[in-house]
Amino acid sequence: MSDQVYLLLRHREIPDLDRLEVYRQNEGFQGFEKALQMKPADVVQQVKDSGLRGRGGAGFPTGLKWSFLPNNLWPHYVVANADESEPGTFKDREILERNPLQFLEGLMIACYAVQANTGYIYLRGEFWQIAAWLDEKIAELEQAGLLGDRILGTDYSLRLYTHLGAGAYICGEETALLESLEGKLGQPRLRPPFPAVEGLYGKPTVINNVETLSNLPVILGKGNSFYRQYGTDRSPGTKIFCLSGRVNRPGNYELPLGRTFRELIYEHGGGILEDGKIKAIMSAGASSTLIVADEKALDTPMTYEMTDALGAPLGSASVIILDETVDMKWLVHKTVSFFRHESCGKCTPCREGTYWMNHITRRLNSGQPNPEDVELLVDVAREIQGKCLCALGEFSTMAVLSGIEKFRSDFNGS
Amino acid sequence: MANQVTLTIDDLTVTVPEGTLVVDAARKAGIDIPVFCYHPKMEPVGMCRMCLVQVGRPMVDRATGQPVLDADGQPKIQFSPKLETSCTIPVSEGMVIRTNTPEVLRAHRDIIEFLLTSHPLDCPICDKGGECPLQDLTRAYGPGQSRFLLDDKMRLAKHVPLGELIYLDRERCILCARCIRFQDEIVDEPVLSFYHRGRSMQIVTYSDPPFDSYFSGNTTDICPVGALTTADFRFAARPWELKNNASICTQCPVGCNTTLNTRREVKSGGKWVVKRVMPRQNELVNEIWICDKGRFGYHYAESGERILSPHVRKEQGLVPVSWDEALDLVEQRLRQAGAGTVTLAGGRLANEDLFNLAQVTDHLGGRKLLHTQVGGGEYVQRYGLGKGSNLGELGKGDAILVIASDLQEEAPVWWLRVKRAADRGAALMVLNPRPTRLDPYARFIHHYRYGEELEALGRLAAGEGELAEAAEALRSAENLVIFYGSEGLGLAETTALAREAAGLLAGSGRAGKVNSGLIGVWQQNNTLGAYDMGFRPEADLAGALSGSGLAWIAAADPAGDHPALEAALKQAGFLVVQDLFMTRTAQMADVVLPAQAFTEREGTFTSGERRVQRFYPAVAAPPGPLADFSIAARVGLRVGIELEGASAATVMLRIAASVPAYAGLDYALISEVSEQWPIIGREDRYYGGTGYDNHQGLGVQLQPDAVTDPDGEVSIAMAAPAPLQVPEGAVYLAPVTRLYDQGLTLKPSMKIVGQRMARREVWLNPETAARLGFGAASLVTLEGEGWTASGVEIRVDEQLPPDVLLAPRSVGIPATGPEAVRLRPLVTEPEA
Amino acid sequence: MLVRGLLTTLKAFLTEKTVTVQYPEQKRMVRTRFRGRHVLRRYEDTGLERCIGCSLCEAACPADAIFVEASENSDEERYSPGERYASTYEINMLRCIFCGYCEDACPTEAIVLSDNYELSFHDRASAIYTKEMLLEPVPPGGKPTPQRTPPGVYTRAIPEMSDPTD
Repeated sequence: MSDQVYLLLRHREIPDLDRLEVYRQNEGFQGFEKALQMKPADVVQQVKDSGLRGRGGAGFPTGLKWSFLPNNLWPHYVVANADESEPGTFKDREILERNPLQFLEGLMIACYAVQANTGYIYLRGEFWQIAAWLDEKIAELEQAGLLGDRILGTDYSLRLYTHLGAGAYICGEETALLESLEGKLGQPRLRPPFPAVEGLYGKPTVINNVETLSNLPVILGKGNSFYRQYGTDRSPGTKIFCLSGRVNRPGNYELPLGRTFRELIYEHGGGILEDGKIKAIMSAGASSTLIVADEKALDTPMTYEMTDALGAPLGSASVIILDETVDMKWLVHKTVSFFRHESCGKCTPCREGTYWMNHITRRLNSGQPNPEDVELLVDVAREIQGKCLCALGEFSTMAVLSGIEKFRSDFNGS
Repeated sequence: MANQVTLTIDDLTVTVPEGTLVVDAARKAGIDIPVFCYHPKMEPVGMCRMCLVQVGRPMVDRATGQPVLDADGQPKIQFSPKLETSCTIPVSEGMVIRTNTPEVLRAHRDIIEFLLTSHPLDCPICDKGGECPLQDLTRAYGPGQSRFLLDDKMRLAKHVPLGELIYLDRERCILCARCIRFQDEIVDEPVLSFYHRGRSMQIVTYSDPPFDSYFSGNTTDICPVGALTTADFRFAARPWELKNNASICTQCPVGCNTTLNTRREVKSGGKWVVKRVMPRQNELVNEIWICDKGRFGYHYAESGERILSPHVRKEQGLVPVSWDEALDLVEQRLRQAGAGTVTLAGGRLANEDLFNLAQVTDHLGGRKLLHTQVGGGEYVQRYGLGKGSNLGELGKGDAILVIASDLQEEAPVWWLRVKRAADRGAALMVLNPRPTRLDPYARFIHHYRYGEELEALGRLAAGEGELAEAAEALRSAENLVIFYGSEGLGLAETTALAREAAGLLAGSGRAGKVNSGLIGVWQQNNTLGAYDMGFRPEADLAGALSGSGLAWIAAADPAGDHPALEAALKQAGFLVVQDLFMTRTAQMADVVLPAQAFTEREGTFTSGERRVQRFYPAVAAPPGPLADFSIAARVGLRVGIELEGASAATVMLRIAASVPAYAGLDYALISEVSEQWPIIGREDRYYGGTGYDNHQGLGVQLQPDAVTDPDGEVSIAMAAPAPLQVPEGAVYLAPVTRLYDQGLTLKPSMKIVGQRMARREVWLNPETAARLGFGAASLVTLEGEGWTASGVEIRVDEQLPPDVLLAPRSVGIPATGPEAVRLRPLVTEPEA
Repeated sequence: MLVRGLLTTLKAFLTEKTVTVQYPEQKRMVRTRFRGRHVLRRYEDTGLERCIGCSLCEAACPADAIFVEASENSDEERYSPGERYASTYEINMLRCIFCGYCEDACPTEAIVLSDNYELSFHDRASAIYTKEMLLEPVPPGGKPTPQRTPPGVYTRAIPEMSDPTD
C-alpha cells in the first residue's frame, strides 16, 4: 500500500505538534523566517512558481491570486477561510485542531507576502472551541515575539484575529464571508470588483483556505523543488482527501495529487462497506457532479485537471462514495435540501429554484413519483444555471443534473 | 464634461457618458430592459437577475493589447458565455448588447417564473394591481401557465403592519431589497432589514415606533409588487379608476410636486374625493419623493368641519346667510374703516389670493400684514437662490449652512436634499442649539446656547476659534446655500438671523449666483409668496389688530394661536374672517366667509426656493365656498376696485404686470415641462416606481433682487430682539417644530398619523426638570407671558442642553417666540 | 296564384302547431347560458359573500355600468373570505349590455348573470341596482353576512379551485 505523505497532517507522525516548543523543534517557523528575509514580491513569485493551487474548492493558483493586489491602495488584508461547511469536508478541522501552528505560520507567510499587517481567521460558528484554541495559540505566538510589532527584529508587524460566523454555508463564499466579517448580512457581493482589488472594508484582500495556507511553510521552508516532487505538474503538492460515505474507513487521507480514486477508496479507505459494489463518486461534496464509478473513473488520477477527463471537478476533494444501496433519488434530495437550506436568498433563481427543486425531490421520494416531475426537475435545474449571483446556485444543480443524466433508472419510479 | 462612450444596443448605436450603466444607456435609447431590484436613484445590486442581457466586448489580443479584427476589419466581438446583469455593468467602448435574443427572452421568462412560484394569487385584492411592475412584466415576458404546485407555495404572514402607516405582505415580497436600500442609501434611516435566509427571508423593521421614518411612504412607490402598501390607501380604489390631478403640497415651504388621485365616493354622496397623494417628478424640487406628512396630511381639505356658507353675527350668534348679505355688510364696514383696515393673511394662501387681497387693502389705504413666526422674507427676496438653481446639483466643493433649524422636522424633503448633497461631498455646516438628524452628515457642527444664534453666526463669519475651519470651508466653497429656521426663535429673532445670514452671503460675493443663496424655512408653504405680494409681518400684531377699524383675517387663526391676539381681536372695530374652518378667530368674527381648499381650485404657490409652481383643481368645490382670490375680488368690486375674480390665470397676468419679480410670468410658462432623468413613465413603472411623470409644469424660479436690482437695499422696521432675562424659578422656553403637530391642516388626518403627532408635552434635560421640581411624566401648568397652558406633560431627554424647555408648536402651547415660563404642578384634586 | 297562397295558409292553420307563447301565463325556458339579471353569489357552505371587491368586473365592463368600492374585512365583521369585500356594489342596469364580461372576469365566480329577464324601471335612479338588491339570499346551511368568524380560518380570498378549467 502506498503511504500517505504528511506534509500537512504532520501531527500524525509527530505527537504534540500543537505545542510551540515541539513545533519549533520540528522545523517550525523556518518558512516564515526565510520569508522575512526575502522581499515580499519574491515570496509571491516563489509561491507562484511552486504551482500551489487553492484548496478550498476552486483550485485557483494561489500566487497568481496574490499578485492581483494593487500596490496603490492600503492597507491589505489576508483572511483565512475556516468556514468549512461543504458537506463531507473535515480536513481544515483536523489541521486547526491538531496542527494549528503550521496553519498560523502559513497565514503569517501569506500576510507578509502581500504586506498585510492584519490577518483574520473566519471560522464557522460551530467552531467556537477551535476559535478559543486558536486565540490561545495566537497569544502564545505574540508572547514568543512571532506576532505583534517588529517581528523577529524586522520592520514587519502583524496581528491576527479570529472571528466566528453564525452557521451559514454561504459565508464560505469569499464575498459573503467579507460581508459577514464586516458585520453585515452574509450575502455575496457583486463581482467585479474582486476582493483582490476591493475586499474587506473596500481594501485589497486575499482570502485563502486553511489547507492552502498550511502548505506555505512547506514551500517556503523546504523550497519549491521539494514541494514539486509530489503531485503532478499542473497540480503539485499533497492534498488532504476527506473520504466518507459507504466506505469502511472514512477519514482524512493526505496523498500527493495524482493518486487514483482506486487507491484512495480501496487501499486507504478499506473498500466499500459490507463488500458492496461502488456506484458513484462525489468528489466535491454536495456541489459535486456525480461520477459514475466505472473502471475508467476509478483509475483516474485525482488532480485539478481531471475535470477534462471526467467532466467533474475535484473541488475541495471531499470524496463521498456511493454504493448500490444508495438510491440517487434520495441522494439528490439530500443535496437539494442542503442547498435550499443554505441559499442566502439574494438572487431569484437560487432562492426560488432551490426551494422548488426541494419540493420536487421530496415528491419524488414520497413513494408516488410522477414521471413528469423528473422532467420538471431537469427543467428547473437548467433554468437556474447561468443566472445566479454566486456559485452556490450553480452548484446546487450539479448533482441533480448529473444524477438524472447518469442514473436515470433510479428516477424512473420504484 | 465626462467622456462619451459609444456602444451598440440591439443594432442601435448609442453614445452616453462614461460610467453609465447599460440598463440606463438602453433606457435613454428607448429600449426597455426589465428590472426589479434596480432603481435609477440607487446603487445597483444585481439581485433579481431580471435584467440579464447578452454582452459582447471587443476582443483584445492578450499579448499585443491590440484589438482583434475580423475579415471586414471590424473589431471582433467576444460574447460572454453567460448572460450578465445589465444593471451592474458600466458601458465600455465598442460594447455590443443584445436584449431580445431567444436566450435573453428565455432568461426573462425563467426569472418571472421563479418569482411567481411563491407569489400569492392576490391580484384581485392587492392594492398594487393595475400599476404593478410584476403584473406588467409577467404579461410581457412571463409564462402563461404555472408549473408550481399550489400546495408548495411558501406561506408567510400577510397584512403585517410596519407601524400604523405601512402594511407589509410578506408573501408578495419578491425580496428585491429596494425598500431596504432606499432607507439605507437615500434616507439613511436603516429601519428595515432582511431577516432569515433563503426562501424564508422577510422584511422586518427594527425601530420603535416601527418603520420610524418620515419617508416611509416612498417605499410603497418603489416597491415593485404590492408588498408595501399604505394604510391610508388600503382598498380605496383601483389605479385605473383614478383620475390624476397635478398639485403642490401645502404642508411646508419645499413645494413638493404631487399628483392627487381622485374618484367618486358613495360615502360622500357621490362626490369626487381625493383618494391618495402621490409624488410627481420634479428633479428640481423633490425628485420623485414626498414626505409622509404630505402623503397623508391632505384630509383637511375634505374635512366635514369645513364652513360651507357665509355667516354673519346676529343676536343669536353666527348664522348662515347668502353671499350677498355677507358681502353687503363687509362692504359697508370696509367703507367705514377705510385706511383703518388691517388685512392679516396667512402663508397658506395662493399668490393669486394674496395679490387680490393686497390690491383691495391698498385701494382702501389699509395695512397688509403677514401672520408668520418666521421673518426675514425681504432678505430672501434679495439674496435668495439665483435663477436656475437646483439643490440636486450641490456636491463636492459646495457648502451648505443650516442654522437654527431641525430641518428634518421643519421641511423633510429639504433635509433629504441637503443630506444627499453632503453624500455627494458638499461641506455641510450645522449650527443648532441641540443635536438633530442633520448632524451625522455635517462636516462641521456647532451647538450654541439657545438665544445665542446671532453670536454663533458672527463667530462663524469671523472664523473664530473652533469655527475657523468651517469659516475657511465657507470661504473657499464654490457655492454657498444658507438655510435659516426657527429653532427656539420667533419673529424678531428669525428676522435678525436672516439679516446676519444675508450679510454673510452678500459679503462672500455670492449674492444672486446660481446654486447660492438664502432660504428661509417658513412654517407655511407660501409665506414667501405673501412677501412677494406685499405682505409683511408686524412685531406688534396685537397692537395693530386692536387698533384696527376692520380686521380682515384670511387663512390665519391669531385668536387660536395666542390669547393676547384673541384679546386684541376683541378690540378690533369689525372682524371679517375668510377661512376653511370655524377656527377660534372665525368663532369671534362678525362675518365669516368660506374659502375653497387647494384641491378645489387652481393657483400658484411660491416655494422657499422662490419657485412659482401651479396647482390644479382636483375635486369640485362644494357649493358655497369661493376661492380666496374670488372673495377678495368680490369685496374689491364692492369697494370700488376692479379685480379678476374668476380666472386665476388672469390674476397671474396681473401679478406679472404689477410685481417686478414676477414679470413675464404666465400660466403657460409655469406649466412648461422638459425631459427629466430618470425617465418615470406610467407605462413602465418597474423602472422608477409608481410616482407620476410630470406633464403639468416644472415651475419657474424667480431671479433674486440682488440680480434684478443690484443697488437696492433691504430695510425692515423691526426692532432687534432684546436678550431674554429668565427670572429665578422660571425657565427659558424655546419653541420648536415637530413635523406631526396638531395644526389645523394636519389634525383631520388624525386617524392616520395620530399616533405620531406631538402631544401636549414639553421636553427638558432631566437635571433641569429636577431643579424645577418635576420628573418625567409629571403633568404641569405652564405660565407664560399672558398665557397659561395646563395639562402639559414633562418629557426628559439627556441629550438636551440644560436650562431650557422645548415646547412643540401647534399643540396648544401658545408661545410664539422664546420666553421665560413658570411651571406649576397640575392640580387634580379640587381645593378644599 | 292567390289560391295557392291561401291554401298554404289554410293548411298551416289546420295542421301546424302554434308557436305563440302565451306570456306571462306561459314562459319559455331560457337557454343554458342565458344572460339575465345579475346576482352576487355566496358560498353555499358558509353563506359568506363571494365578492371580494376587486373591481375586475368594473374594469371588464365595456359599458361602464358597474361601480365598486372595497373595504376591509375583520373577523368580528366578516363579509367575505380573505381581507377584502365590496362595501359598495352597484350596477346601472340601463347601461348594462348583458354581455357577461363581468362574469368572465370575476375570479371568485361572484357575479353571475342569472335567468331573470323581467326587469323594468320607471325612472333612471331605480335602474341602479345596489348590493342589497344583487346579493342572493343566504343558502341553507349558511349564515347571513356580516358574520363573526374564528380568526385564522378565512384567510384566503381566492378559492383554491379544484379544476381551473371549469
